[in-house]
Amino acid sequence: MTDPGKHSLIEDAQGIAYGATMAAFGITILTHLGLVTGQTAGLAVLIAYATGWGFGPVFFAVNLPFYLLGYLRMGLRFTVKTFAAVALLSALSVWMPGQLSFATLNPWLGAVLFGFLSGSALLALFRHGASLGGIGILALMLQDRLGWRAGWVQLGFDAGLFALAFLVVPPETVAISFAGALVVNLVIAVNHRRDRYIAA
Amino acid sequence: MPDRTDQLTDQPRHSAVDDAQGIAFGVTMAALGMHILTHMGFVTGQTTGLAVLIAHLTGLPFPAVYFTVTLPFLGLAWRRMGARFALKTLVTTAALSGLVAVLPSWVELGRIEPTVAAILIGLLFGIAALAAIRHGGSFGGLSVLWIELQDRTGFPAGHAQLLSDVVIFGLAALIMPLDTLAYSFLGAAVFSLFLAVNHRRDRYVAV
Repeated sequence: MTDPGKHSLIEDAQGIAYGATMAAFGITILTHLGLVTGQTAGLAVLIAYATGWGFGPVFFAVNLPFYLLGYLRMGLRFTVKTFAAVALLSALSVWMPGQLSFATLNPWLGAVLFGFLSGSALLALFRHGASLGGIGILALMLQDRLGWRAGWVQLGFDAGLFALAFLVVPPETVAISFAGALVVNLVIAVNHRRDRYIAA
Repeated sequence: MPDRTDQLTDQPRHSAVDDAQGIAFGVTMAALGMHILTHMGFVTGQTTGLAVLIAHLTGLPFPAVYFTVTLPFLGLAWRRMGARFALKTLVTTAALSGLVAVLPSWVELGRIEPTVAAILIGLLFGIAALAAIRHGGSFGGLSVLWIELQDRTGFPAGHAQLLSDVVIFGLAALIMPLDTLAYSFLGAAVFSLFLAVNHRRDRYVAV
């Protein structure tokens, strides 16, 4: 057994691989249904829908400016792991829709599945010292520099994204998307606890 | 603020809501995994694998067979682990069977690359089992029998589990094409590896 307090390289690698794969599965469902979501992935989805570009390359590009912030705020290890997770998710989300298709998919069920899959993916990435994008880091930075509460900044960003979404997708789609984003955030809010999962 | 000793001895405990959401998550992920498994015609190990084989041979619907197969082990679970555990297991397997039964009317899968399906099945079963174990739930079935066997005869439960999977895959080899069997094996390997690496009571300390 490896040290309970510290993940080995292989343990981190499989955690990041799990997170990127489940997140890609979630994104495949999300984009198949034409739903939107919050945070960095949500920004990439909106840009992808509005321009017709694929989610993968847009998500990869949107994240690029944030790596410097990540390095300054969270250190090299976190930044390298996050880059690996983002790159893997970008590549998998280009590849996966060709590997797996749905004949029919109820959008409400799809939203819940997206929520569970990406919630669990983010949880695995956080527990293995990685993340999936820049908006969260930017929010932490703003809290440090300007005293804005990171939680409120993220909420404000998502509110802006969902408002913009009304311009790109039908209102019913926004409502279903909101349910999915709620599930993601509930999974993280209930389960992301350093006092319960103690390894770093 | 509690003093230092209190902080150290205070075991983090899940609330009822924590456990409910953990088990709901596990059931949903397991149901999605079983949906992909039956769609692809794959087999797997343990209780689910046994149910797949019986459903295949009898033509009976998989969810009903799965639920029925778990029933005889509930009594054993009750004796070994108590009424609370047995009741939780019953609720979990009933919810799982029910969800697997209704899932096809909400999601019809299309073509899936078999390797991708196998890996997704392994990860979905893995995370479902991890969530269930961490939240004191169980999908029931054969494993409690192997623990009982170990207590009675000293035969190691891990060996019994592996041996029973060899038998299930051996039987599957008689009725399935070899490539389907290989993909099934890949899924089962991902599932086992995932649990082997991530099921650590010394890391996830809440009960």
